[in-house]
Amino acid sequence: MTAVLIVALVTGALLFGIGLYGALSQTNLVMIMMGVELILAGALVNLVAFWRFLHPHVYAGQMFVLIIMTVMALEMAVGFGIAVARFRSRGSVEMEEARDLNG
Amino acid sequence: MILAQSLLVGFFGAAAVAFGVWVFRTSSMMRSALALLFSQTALGAMFLAMQTEFLGVLQIMMMATEMSIMAIFMVMFMMDPGGLGEMDMSHQKRLAIAAALVATTLSIAVVILVDWGKPTAVPPGAAQQVRELGTELLGRSMMLFETAGVTILTAMIAATAIAVDGRPYGKQKPAAAAMNQQHKPPLDEEAQS
Amino acid sequence: MTVFLALVSMLLYIYVIAVIEASLRTGRVNAALPLFAALALLGRESIVPRKCDRIFFETAPILLLLSALLAAAVLPLAPGLMITDLATGALFINAALAYVLVALLMAGWGPDGAYALIGGWRFLGQLLAYSMLIVMPITAVAMRASSLLTTDIVTSQAELWNIVYQPLGFVLFFIAAMALAFLPPFDLPTAQGELAGGVEAEYSGVRLAVFRFGRLALITALAAATTVLYLGGWYGPWLPAWAWSTLKLLGVASAMLVAGHYLPRIREAQLLAWAWKFGIPLALLNIFLVGVLVLVLS
Repeated sequence: MTAVLIVALVTGALLFGIGLYGALSQTNLVMIMMGVELILAGALVNLVAFWRFLHPHVYAGQMFVLIIMTVMALEMAVGFGIAVARFRSRGSVEMEEARDLNG
Repeated sequence: MILAQSLLVGFFGAAAVAFGVWVFRTSSMMRSALALLFSQTALGAMFLAMQTEFLGVLQIMMMATEMSIMAIFMVMFMMDPGGLGEMDMSHQKRLAIAAALVATTLSIAVVILVDWGKPTAVPPGAAQQVRELGTELLGRSMMLFETAGVTILTAMIAATAIAVDGRPYGKQKPAAAAMNQQHKPPLDEEAQS
Repeated sequence: MTVFLALVSMLLYIYVIAVIEASLRTGRVNAALPLFAALALLGRESIVPRKCDRIFFETAPILLLLSALLAAAVLPLAPGLMITDLATGALFINAALAYVLVALLMAGWGPDGAYALIGGWRFLGQLLAYSMLIVMPITAVAMRASSLLTTDIVTSQAELWNIVYQPLGFVLFFIAAMALAFLPPFDLPTAQGELAGGVEAEYSGVRLAVFRFGRLALITALAAATTVLYLGGWYGPWLPAWAWSTLKLLGVASAMLVAGHYLPRIREAQLLAWAWKFGIPLALLNIFLVGVLVLVLS
């Protein structure tokens, strides 16, 4: 059983790594959000694996997964709201051009 | 049984990682968004293989709609959504690769080095999971659950408030107008200055 | 054995529904027409457009068929006559049907054609609104059964069918099911005469045959879902269980097809406005009413 747990956790780590690479390397806001989604997906795998293999009788673990799923949806909603506003006023969502707060 | 389970979990995990890599390797935005969708779907299947039926089905259901919305925004906001121009849309690659490698190596090291004790062999049945999760949601975690609901409402209002054009009806500026303004040919600007 | 029986009966239903659709279109009942149409499609050349996205173009019809079959897999036609009885069956129907959207987006983007593209994006807007009207009435049904098992949902209707218990939910679900299967008043993604076939426009030959078959399977799955969720599944006097399921399923399917035959196509803006402004508040009201009824009657 430990093997399955380790496979799941390694998947989570790899997804986190890919997501981190994407979030850091992409220039477009929407692509960055895809990276963040992958990072959160890595967290989801870990939480499900922990619930299933270590604490199958503590349902707060599943609750945590639901909260992460909510966070994924919210991140998308607010992110796209910002993207629309930025596109309307500046004509692009390229983050290379978003240096307004650079002092 | 355990062997079958580890094979299935490994297979879907590998599929999720492969689709995840594909997200950043293709230049077609539609492929990128749908690769992310199938990465998430593979995760849902992996949850099913780990006998976490409710969460698996929920993951499969939610991500289909979510990533389809992602797809249309990708096509709207990318310079080259079809990916036929082979544009490079990345920066600080070396830093990103280094950070990703360090983070992944560290977490895998933690996963392998920690003693996980004796994992449970048989989780509660699927029907019992649904029931217990419902009791948890409307019992001990009710406050948290309600907070999630209110947060969704707040995010909905915030996202709409950010995204709508505040000008009165009929005087709104189409989004494309900003784009034309922004991306004047550079020759024009030089001539004016 | 039951899996095989369930699959064979699915195929038979699909064929009968194809006959009904064809006879509505031509005005004559001809039991062999879908067979000949399918043979003709299989015999024709299946053209691949230039510069298409080959992966999406090939996957879309198969994904459409697969999602319809998966949704049908958890719906019981008679006690025990189903492919699999999941503990989260009612949720699984939604999960499987959500991939119809993905399939049509792929079919829209894949062939690199303007009409197909417009059809695909139209369906995104349409299904985002109407999938809410699938999910929320199912929630109310599951509340009454206090279970997500589809067999439990049927047995909860032994005394009173859900169509009487929650008529509002039935109406919303029926309309949303028609929108999900893009049947005529809601056939914006394929709009004949306006988009020249929309997402179907670039498909031909075998691929079109699979696409049409997938859509018929989708109609069958949705009719089966309406039967199971609202019309008491296999319950009914005198006749055996499977006969009642068949009668109800075909009745729902032909009601959908006939309604679509006589209604004009709805404009996209109105379609979305109705769903978000009236449909979703009504669905919430339905959940509230069912909650009150469950508390009062138990």
